Amino acid sequence: MNVSDETLQAIIRDYNGFELSAAELELVRPEVDYYMEQLAILGDLDLSDTMSGRLLRMAAADESQARQEGGV
Amino acid sequence: MAGNELLSSTIAELAPRIRAGEVSPVELTEAALARAEEMQPRLNTFITLLGEQAMAQAREEEEAISRGEYKGPLQGIPIGLKDNLATAGIRTTLGTKVLSDYVPDEDAEVAIRCRAAGAVILGKENLEEFAAGATSNNPHFGPVRNPWGTEHIPGGSSGGGGANVAAEVTFASLGTDLGGSVRLPGAFCGVVGLKQTFGRVSQRGLLVTSFNGDHIGPMTRSVADSAILLQAMAGHDPLDPSTVPVPVPDYSAGLGRGVRGLRMGVPSNYYFEDLEPEVEEASRRAIAALEELGAISVPIELPAMKYIGAVRMAAMSDAIVTHEPFLRASRDDYGPDVLYRTLGGQFVMGHHYSKAMKAQRLIQEDYARVLQGVDFIVTPTTPLVAPRIDAAYIEHNGVTHRVRGPGSSMVSRNTSPLNATGHPAITVPCGLNSDGLPIGLQFIGAGFREDLLFQVASAYEGVSPSQGRRPPVLQG
Repeated sequence: MNVSDETLQAIIRDYNGFELSAAELELVRPEVDYYMEQLAILGDLDLSDTMSGRLLRMAAADESQARQEGGV
Repeated sequence: MAGNELLSSTIAELAPRIRAGEVSPVELTEAALARAEEMQPRLNTFITLLGEQAMAQAREEEEAISRGEYKGPLQGIPIGLKDNLATAGIRTTLGTKVLSDYVPDEDAEVAIRCRAAGAVILGKENLEEFAAGATSNNPHFGPVRNPWGTEHIPGGSSGGGGANVAAEVTFASLGTDLGGSVRLPGAFCGVVGLKQTFGRVSQRGLLVTSFNGDHIGPMTRSVADSAILLQAMAGHDPLDPSTVPVPVPDYSAGLGRGVRGLRMGVPSNYYFEDLEPEVEEASRRAIAALEELGAISVPIELPAMKYIGAVRMAAMSDAIVTHEPFLRASRDDYGPDVLYRTLGGQFVMGHHYSKAMKAQRLIQEDYARVLQGVDFIVTPTTPLVAPRIDAAYIEHNGVTHRVRGPGSSMVSRNTSPLNATGHPAITVPCGLNSDGLPIGLQFIGAGFREDLLFQVASAYEGVSPSQGRRPPVLQG
């Protein structure tokens, strides 16, 4: 994924962001590229069962805690 | 005992001697200040040295002890504070020209607690500008240098503290850790660095930071000293909504219990990928040493770590919000590394931030699941040893990485995940590479089980090849 300088300048202009010259935009570009890389990775993330859909193994948790408290 | 011998001691060694009147806090503080004056031109660890105040505090503590008012093992011990922790009436710069004359009205809660325990505040320590990076190459106050190799970074952002502890200037230094900023200087300077559970220590008075994932933690020369510092710092603060009202255990109680029978999670993905060969060798040797001590290795997998990069994407957004008022008022006073790293955050969109938070939750669930089956997790603290101060980029396993400024995240890849999950993590020295630079081993525990982390880290510390090693800056 890539986002153009024109789009970034439009975001700054329309959302009252921090102005950046063309040279400054180049300096910021590695952060934007990182953002876009991570967005691409998130593309395959299945969020259908996040939080409410996944149950932790509470029984095992109790067992683990008991073992820790026993100092083994 | 001569000043230099005193400075080489640990807090746990000195405390009973201070209590017995055999070691004078005044003489100890004089020795520490003399060492600070000697090291400052070489390491640049302090922004503000508090000579007179420290001596006055040391005299007060010495008199209190002579009256029988013993406060505990921190009494009369010289420590440092990172210069992003508020100190009443004392300049607190955050390492930036933007706040170079800022004098807070109040102390940070950790400063209050450490003073109440009798610690002597030696000075305010140099750091990355706004604590926003991993090098401690400060553009306004100069770079901090690593006692193990003065052409190398000490790690950041709490580099002044890490270097001071390694150079035996302070016995402990309090740093702050938003992505590894206590543990990275710990690893690169060959000292112990603790990031405790999120909510265990008050953040009140930690200035200009994100509300998500920052921690104030100690750097020390031993695990036992780390336990002593956390004992003083930990506890619910009714004025900090992020702290949790759970009891504070005796953190020193488990020291010496060893690791026999404990289940040690060894990640099969992420943490051992992309390591410098000597870092991997040292880490594998450490794991073997822990097995020799009786720990049981258990391979673990953390599949959601695939998405850990998204968490930094959210941090970009947090940073622009944190800095917005300062950027509006004083943009020209920022150094370029922090300025351009921060400004990228204005492009992160809200729904992407929310998705990153969902990914963070999945990652937290992975750790929760894994930590039901093991007692602790072991990883290398960093994928590499301390880069050179003049390095803007490093070549690592055939890939070019930025060390500082926009796009830099390689150095903190093994530490920052625990800021996202909130789990406690501690780095302990595990040897030197062939250039004599320290390597760190990280232990990760379940929430609020710092006691178990101290137990494990202390056991390993006893067999670590770093035992007894001192940095070249102390050898003439």
